[in-house]
Amino acid sequence: MRHALCALLFFILLAPGVIRAEKEITLGTVEEVILLPWGVKLLARIDTGATTTSLDARELKIEGKVVEFRLPDRYEGRPFRLPIIEWKEVLSAEGRGRRPVVDMDLCIGSRQIRARVNLNDRSEVKYPLIIGRNVLKHHFIVDVRRARVTEPECPIPPVDKKPVLSEPLPAPQ
Amino acid sequence: MVVMKPRWIFLLFFVTFYWGASDVLHAGEKIVVGEVEDVLLLPWGIKLPARIDTGAALSSLDARDLKAEDGFAKFKLGKQYGGMQLRLPIVDWLYIRSSEASEQRPIVEIDLCIGPKRIRTRVNLNDRSKVRYPLLIGRNTLKENFVVDCMQERCSPPACPEVSSK
Repeated sequence: MRHALCALLFFILLAPGVIRAEKEITLGTVEEVILLPWGVKLLARIDTGATTTSLDARELKIEGKVVEFRLPDRYEGRPFRLPIIEWKEVLSAEGRGRRPVVDMDLCIGSRQIRARVNLNDRSEVKYPLIIGRNVLKHHFIVDVRRARVTEPECPIPPVDKKPVLSEPLPAPQ
Repeated sequence: MVVMKPRWIFLLFFVTFYWGASDVLHAGEKIVVGEVEDVLLLPWGIKLPARIDTGAALSSLDARDLKAEDGFAKFKLGKQYGGMQLRLPIVDWLYIRSSEASEQRPIVEIDLCIGPKRIRTRVNLNDRSKVRYPLLIGRNTLKENFVVDCMQERCSPPACPEVSSK
């Protein structure tokens, strides 16, 4: 009886912290994010002003429903080839445009999120990845007093389950 | 009637305190705002819908017919927000350089009521007639102990002491 009560009390004491940790992850203004299953780690701007997430894609080539691009040189210019899910119409300072949108798995903190990512050349801006509200809606809180709060830690998923056309990184030895 | 042993009473007290305190302390530290909030421009109490934007370094206010003269910025608010004419001292300039053009915008200080908090903050002035929100709350303002929760919208209506909205 006493042990049961102790166990119950112990649970009650721990519960609030555990539930909160599950519920939301706090991010700073800049965070490291891993693109899965490739294992590429990028610095991302956490941007509540952006509706969607976008990635700096160089040498964009469209072939029917497939898009080919490279990451910036800092990320070894890694080539990608992915199916286009949809197109996003954008109105920016440069005028109207259309950007291809792909699906990617992002690892932020301990969480893996499948998200729509639009592709465009962002060579003039500082961060290659912008995490917008479509991702931040997955229980993330942003605290602008902080930066690089999380360390991306997700299991790299098995390759054959991913409907992607480019070669993923070999699993780390 | 069960008589509780003193140590159980102590433990229960501790548990109650723990449950209560974790939420209260949390709320006291940080003010949670959603992706969009209604914000009051003080001392006039003009309610402006604001985009909460962690991607912007500096907050920004929609200023129409903007003129800078003798160290003051003269401008009007948008018509749907009363169109009031304002004249505020310029405290700094923001230089924006892109491949297409370079631009400079006056920076002024304004008082805002966001949620329960009244703050004096810097904003840059520019014509935002093409965008949806007349006010953009950037990182310089959000650093005053706000955290942003994009699951929510308008979760922190303006409620500053001794301030009424128009």
